[in-house]
Amino acid sequence: MAEPTDDIIRAHGLGRQFRGRWAVKDVDLTVGRGEIVGLVGPDGAGKTTLLQLIAAILDPSAGRCTVLGFDSVRESAKITSRIGYMAQGFTLYDRLTVAENIAFAAKARNVSAAQLAARRQQLLAMAGLGPFLHRREGALSGGMRKKLALCANLVHEPPLLLLDEPGLGVDPLSRRELWRMLEAYRRQGATIVFSTSYMDEAELCDRVAFLDAGGIVALGTPAELRARGDGAAFRVVTDDPAAVEGALSGEPDVLGVQWQARDVRFVMWPGREPSSSLRAPFRDLGRVESASPTIEDVFVILTAECNHSGDGDVESPSPAHTRGPMEGTQAQISSQGLTRRFGSFVAVDDVYLDLGSGEIFGLLGANGAGKTTLIRMLCGLLSPSSGAAWVAGIDAVADPQRLRQRIGYMSQRFSLYPDLSVGENLSFFASAYGLDRKAAREAIGWARAVTGLARFEHHTVARLSGAVRQRLGLACAILHRPAVVFLDEPTSGVDPLSRFRFWRLVNALGAAGTTVLVTTHYLEEAAYCHRLGLMHEGRLIAAGDLASLRAELPADVPQTVEAVFIAHIERARTRMPQSESSAS
Amino acid sequence: MARRLTGLLVKEMIQFLRDRVVLILVLWLYTIEVVICAVAVSFEVENMPLAIVDFDRTPESRVLVQNFLITESFTSAGTAASAAEATEWLQQGRARLALIVPDGFQRDLVGGEVPPVQILLDGTDSNIAAQARANALAIVGRMEAAATAEQDGPGRAHPVVRVWYNPDGRTTSFTVLSMIALAALMVGVIYPAASIVREKEAGTIEQLRVTPISTTELFVAKTVPMLVMGLVSVFPSLLIVWWFGVPLNGSLAPFLALTAVFLVSAIAIGVLIASISRTLQQALLLSFFGLFPVLFLSGTITPVESMPEALQTVSFFSPLRHYMDVILGVFLKGAGLPELWPQALALIAIGTPLFLLAARIFQRTPAG
Amino acid sequence: MRPSRIAAVLEKETKEIVRDPITVAIALIMPILMLFLFGYAISLDVKDIRLGVLDHDRSPASRQLVDEFVDSGYFRLAGSYAAPEEVDGALQRNEVKLVLVVPPRFHERLERGEAAPVQVLVDGTYAASANLAAAYAETIISTFPDAAPPAARVEVRVWYNPALRSANFIVPGLFGVILMAFPPLLTALAITREKESGSIQQIFASPLTSAEFLAGKLVPYGLIAFVQIVTVIAAGFVWFGVPMRGSLGLLLAVGLVYVFTTVGIGLLVSTIANSQVVAMLLALIVALMPSALFSGFLFPIFTMPYASQLYARTLPAGYFVDFSRGLVLKGAGLPELWPSVALLLVYTLIVFALAVWLFRKKVA
Repeated sequence: MAEPTDDIIRAHGLGRQFRGRWAVKDVDLTVGRGEIVGLVGPDGAGKTTLLQLIAAILDPSAGRCTVLGFDSVRESAKITSRIGYMAQGFTLYDRLTVAENIAFAAKARNVSAAQLAARRQQLLAMAGLGPFLHRREGALSGGMRKKLALCANLVHEPPLLLLDEPGLGVDPLSRRELWRMLEAYRRQGATIVFSTSYMDEAELCDRVAFLDAGGIVALGTPAELRARGDGAAFRVVTDDPAAVEGALSGEPDVLGVQWQARDVRFVMWPGREPSSSLRAPFRDLGRVESASPTIEDVFVILTAECNHSGDGDVESPSPAHTRGPMEGTQAQISSQGLTRRFGSFVAVDDVYLDLGSGEIFGLLGANGAGKTTLIRMLCGLLSPSSGAAWVAGIDAVADPQRLRQRIGYMSQRFSLYPDLSVGENLSFFASAYGLDRKAAREAIGWARAVTGLARFEHHTVARLSGAVRQRLGLACAILHRPAVVFLDEPTSGVDPLSRFRFWRLVNALGAAGTTVLVTTHYLEEAAYCHRLGLMHEGRLIAAGDLASLRAELPADVPQTVEAVFIAHIERARTRMPQSESSAS
Repeated sequence: MARRLTGLLVKEMIQFLRDRVVLILVLWLYTIEVVICAVAVSFEVENMPLAIVDFDRTPESRVLVQNFLITESFTSAGTAASAAEATEWLQQGRARLALIVPDGFQRDLVGGEVPPVQILLDGTDSNIAAQARANALAIVGRMEAAATAEQDGPGRAHPVVRVWYNPDGRTTSFTVLSMIALAALMVGVIYPAASIVREKEAGTIEQLRVTPISTTELFVAKTVPMLVMGLVSVFPSLLIVWWFGVPLNGSLAPFLALTAVFLVSAIAIGVLIASISRTLQQALLLSFFGLFPVLFLSGTITPVESMPEALQTVSFFSPLRHYMDVILGVFLKGAGLPELWPQALALIAIGTPLFLLAARIFQRTPAG
Repeated sequence: MRPSRIAAVLEKETKEIVRDPITVAIALIMPILMLFLFGYAISLDVKDIRLGVLDHDRSPASRQLVDEFVDSGYFRLAGSYAAPEEVDGALQRNEVKLVLVVPPRFHERLERGEAAPVQVLVDGTYAASANLAAAYAETIISTFPDAAPPAARVEVRVWYNPALRSANFIVPGLFGVILMAFPPLLTALAITREKESGSIQQIFASPLTSAEFLAGKLVPYGLIAFVQIVTVIAAGFVWFGVPMRGSLGLLLAVGLVYVFTTVGIGLLVSTIANSQVVAMLLALIVALMPSALFSGFLFPIFTMPYASQLYARTLPAGYFVDFSRGLVLKGAGLPELWPSVALLLVYTLIVFALAVWLFRKKVA
């Protein structure tokens, strides 16, 4: 396929309107051959729509776009027959097997049987899907499904690959493999455009486009983008990160805070220096010095600058008013030899846990490692095959009914009533927990303020952005001031600023004495947790704070969460050569 | 307990009013479908196209032809020249029956002979054909009776037919009422099934399981409002009843009371359907196709009496069959509880175990 | 159009269908179930009508009249009453459907050669069977007592279905309705399912053209529909002994055309609906409902009001039902039935053209 120009994508004034609202507006973008371009931006910024416009499966309302030298409206068939496009979510056929899905993708794209045989081997090996050739797609774990979808889109070796949130809901290990496949493929000269909410992925791009309200607000190499945050990022090295966070949280000019071990980073409005009143409390805590900004910092700054738009997230939550559990401080989680089998498959294998009150415990692990099953047992939703669990001083196995009054649970799938408004959801859950009218009004007012939902009171949940829904989910789970809160992937698919705000809430809950058990695929979020647990194939292979987890490993392992996580899992793999049935 | 239940009930009400698909479906079932069926469904012989072959062409033969055309059953499809032409019309469907009056009909009649009159009948539609045959025989029979009365021969019995409850002999009343009974069943089944399955789809049922709400409370919240909604939904159909001029000979109170009893069975079926469906689509598919035989065997389309013995026995277990008796009894026959108590007992006898079973299964598998 | 790509879609679709046993079961069992229900349960030819007698005369003549009713085979004595009030209750409670009221001096009048009126009370709730019952009763009474010679002799010859068996009537008509029940529903669901799961975006972003995609989608559902026709035909002939007077080949050929009509309607539905639930309800409302009611399958079109008759003429089901009955029962062939066939062809072409035109490879 000879392309007439070297520019793979050229968009001019590209726009698309949905019912009078511009989802993408006035976008100019040129992507050269072999480039990797990442699209980042808050929820509803127009990333998906832009990708669909480029893929020529959506006609623009304004402007024009040339892809591979073809016009996206007049010659859309020529574009769609050449490119690879991976939509958000799981878009393969769950009733077909791995092999059948690939074969269908190949035949639909005119790949000959001989070519297919050769490429399938190579792709599946790279994706680690070789052993699962005859398993149905629906029975694979989320990470594997994504890798398979990528294979299906690479089978015809497209010159341009468009990916919509390929890493969404995918565990760090699978995500790393996914990225390796992309790198290998890119070395063959292909061009890749993808959207993501993972900033570490953005760092790996040639160029990053930051979208807000349908427009490209910033575009450049990661280094160029990072430069926009020069002078806005600071760090404090301290022995008491919580106190530093506390001091920073009240400051209006501070946009974001992040900490890792003894290292607290924060971002300020560009051009504003930490004031003397802000510096004052740090005299005892640690020294404020400027830091080199990350993409994430820039994301936080850009989002804050564009805040007039988006879902109108102007009202940030105010965790300062967070209140602790209703009664007592013996709140804790304790499990002994908790095990759950499904047939011959051991989903959770002999897990011992001990969480004190106010502790924030992060559970990390691949898709299908058993995190959700463990949480469901601790919530009393699933009875264990063996072992015991006490949550908030109540036997979770024997007395799940009494347990419910003391715990809050936010499941992986967003599970509030989409047809009710925010206010209606809140008052329903208040009554579900049996709060009387006065207590309910008080609790709702409090939860609403804490999570910054007042503006959305009458909005129907179905029309809210992911970030707001997640805050609502949390609000509903803490209305009755539970002693223990379980959060299963609460921040999945949410942009960094919203995630940061969410974690501030979680930290505030912990500070007020609530025990929080949380799972996440964003490894940088591990930094917000007091302790981490790593799960692999049903087992809790390691637990402790980051430093102690790091200490268990050989010295050559880097200090990052990802490195520690992967090293532990690899060590566990070599210790117990397990069956390959890691699917959920 | 009371607070949680109130919260659940309020939530169910709000969701019910917001669920446009189900709301439209329910309104459609109770109004448009009733109207469409009332217009379309008719089994009685009316305006049946009749081919006339009159070889006699005498006043007497014309009287005979007139006697056919004067009834509502038959309408002229034209005069055919020969039996062969009439046959062709039958095959094309232009006529459904042919009346062949032989040459010499009047002569024979006057002369005291017995002239043969031939009727060719398209038996394709057996139901219509049976009625047409009976009607044709009755018409000729009436002629004989008139003739013999004139002749002042031996005493003869003559029939005086009075049709009760539906003097016009229209199918419309029956159809309207049977469609309302059918709608009551569908609505009673679909409401609870949809509301339970939606919670499964949205994952909220699991969220409820970590709240102190008990399965009993949930079951009550999923069934009681549905009973109220089911009763309220009946009212728009009363307008249709009025519009079609269906008489209300009995009183509304026993009708509503027995409708409520009937809805208990329907709701129980809805809960059972929800317990085996994962998605709204499956639940609706099951409601439509799974209930199809039930509808059919309950006398909503044809009367139970004309079914084979075995099917009649089976239909005894269908709550809809008894409800059909109730709705026809109240509206057309002016019956009340003194007449309908066997139906009421049957509905209770079917509904109670069904409801208990539904409650048990619901409590065992709240998340399916 | 590339055959290899159509084959790919076809293969994929077939595998998906086969792995959805519930749908396959519904699609294959429902037609048989419908056939048996309609074949056995739809019959108005009432036998054993429950007869009540209020005999004010209690004479040999009145007893003879009642005997003639019972002997006719149409009636079964279900109750004898002494007072008119009892009759009211009996009709209300549905104990009897028809009541014979023999007046006092019935016997005497007959003896004297006077006309003797006999009252017949019919429960008219269900008009069609009431009509039949009344006509039977009338015929029996007007020829009572059987002394006088009849004025005219009626020879009724029933053609095409002399035994007036409802199965003969139902089976050929059912083809038209069953094909409106499943193919549109399954096709519409199959496409909206891909819309819901997002997998259709992968189709959009591929060299598959709309025509190839739709062709691959339709063939398996068309096949299911065809299997349904064949099952119903086989069951109809073998079990119900329905005669086959026309050409089976022609029936299958036109059946195939009709399969395309129905599948095309499903396609049209899927271009409008965005969720499976909406697609299902639409398919039921635009395809199944009208074709069950307005095709003449059960309810003759000629008895409907004029506007409804016009409406019925706009639906394809009626044409196929007419064709199929004409062929199966009347032994008609193309010379007699070509107008129905031509209309079906035109209909199919329009539906398909519209569907392909509306189905665009775009997400919005």
